[in-house]
Amino acid sequence: MTHAVPRVDAMKPSKPGPTRTAPPRPPDKFPGGGRYPAYLAFGACGAFLMISASLLTRGIWALGNGEAAWDAYRAGLGHPAYLVYHVAAFLGLTWFVLRLFRLFPATQPYRIGPLKRPPDAVLVAGLYGLFFTVLAVGTLFLGGAML
Amino acid sequence: MSEVKKTIVVTRFDPDKDEVPKTQSYEIPVQDDWKVLEALNYIKDNVDPTLSHRWSCRMAVCGSCGMNVNGEPKLTCKDPISSYGDTIEVAPLANFPVVRDLVVELEGFMDKFKAVKPWIIAAKERAAEEGTHRQSPDELADFKSFSMCINCMLCYSACPVVSNEPDFLGPAALALGHRYNQDSRDEGADERNEIFRDEGGIFSCSYANECTEVCPKGVNPSGAIQQAKLNNVVDWAKSFVVPRRKSS
Amino acid sequence: MLKLEPVIWGLFSGGMMIGGILLPVYILVVALGGGFGVVDGQALGYDRVFALATNPIGSLVLVAAAALPLWGGAHHLRHLWIDFGGLKSDGLVGGLFYGAALVGSVYAVLAVLRLHG
Repeated sequence: MTHAVPRVDAMKPSKPGPTRTAPPRPPDKFPGGGRYPAYLAFGACGAFLMISASLLTRGIWALGNGEAAWDAYRAGLGHPAYLVYHVAAFLGLTWFVLRLFRLFPATQPYRIGPLKRPPDAVLVAGLYGLFFTVLAVGTLFLGGAML
Repeated sequence: MSEVKKTIVVTRFDPDKDEVPKTQSYEIPVQDDWKVLEALNYIKDNVDPTLSHRWSCRMAVCGSCGMNVNGEPKLTCKDPISSYGDTIEVAPLANFPVVRDLVVELEGFMDKFKAVKPWIIAAKERAAEEGTHRQSPDELADFKSFSMCINCMLCYSACPVVSNEPDFLGPAALALGHRYNQDSRDEGADERNEIFRDEGGIFSCSYANECTEVCPKGVNPSGAIQQAKLNNVVDWAKSFVVPRRKSS
Repeated sequence: MLKLEPVIWGLFSGGMMIGGILLPVYILVVALGGGFGVVDGQALGYDRVFALATNPIGSLVLVAAAALPLWGGAHHLRHLWIDFGGLKSDGLVGGLFYGAALVGSVYAVLAVLRLHG
């Protein structure tokens, strides 16, 4: 059986060796198998970051244009397309940040400044706690249920 | 010890005859305490002596027997055959040119490996009467996990950046460079950071984290690279306050 | 682009953290709560939001939440492009993503500064 030939230009020696070689193939499970889909989806969540930050800026700009513009901006957010996008963005970004926090401890050195790095579980619990606290307090405050 | 039959589907490539690699199936009796490597050795010794594969220590130390088993980079001497079904696909490491069958071309890796200056760089030689270097357990722990690499190259086989950026120095080499940057005896961080910040350096890494996932020795190359990135951001910020030392 | 990699990566990692933590609050309350009409109209009324946004802390939070995530997103999307074989056009595509992040950041800072004008 002959391999299908996706081939990549990787790990080429600076001088060719004495015999001819078969060209490298990309990782066998890329992009659809193994852990790659989660990694690629994580990267794709960059779109949520860019779009949502831009929509926030649009809101701030509208706020600067006065009450009528702000009300129009808010009314616009009620459009079904926006609602669908924002449900997806909320779920996507929540998954994104929790994955980021799960990966975070392994990126930290043995010592952070003079202190030893806390156990991974403590770091992850702290970061999850931070996210859910900001989400809960922020939502209650911005939503007018607090203060 | 129970004996069952399994089909081992092996990638074959003869540079004198084959245009591209093909696969060949061998149905062989296996014992359930075997590793995948023992199945390959069985084929070589008893069925088909033309099969080429690399191996040496049989105990996950030498780093020779890395192959893709069912699409996942594995040390075949560490990978129990009982963890697979009736059919097992064994292919050479992905992302490497193939010399023959399961044997890949290593020179490209050696070039990248040397590029990060993986040795202790000291500004001046230490005189014998000054005695040995002293290093505390904490100072050792700063880099110890990154020094456990056995150069098996599984990380290169899994990394999507290695596929797409021919100049990318790659997980093992960058982690090794970081290992020396973190060593209290070393003074070469400025030199290495220039290489790290260059084309194919640490900032090419997109943190797929595959290297860390497939590493059989717990080296965590992706963690090393992220640490090196942060160090370089701090270094960059500091360069505004204190001019960077020029390396020769 | 190489010389700027450390600063871009710094903005990127800050953007992931800040964006991941702050944007869900904005999305949940303003975009979804407001959009579905669940959140009390007064809470998101012009007077209250304007007061919050012009508070010094509020302004800082807004600048961070509107500017930094652009870098987080731009860097991720650039690498996604490379992962699917786009290295040859990295200069152009990466430049476009980072350019968009830069323009958006300036725009976000101006939008907030304008509230104080």
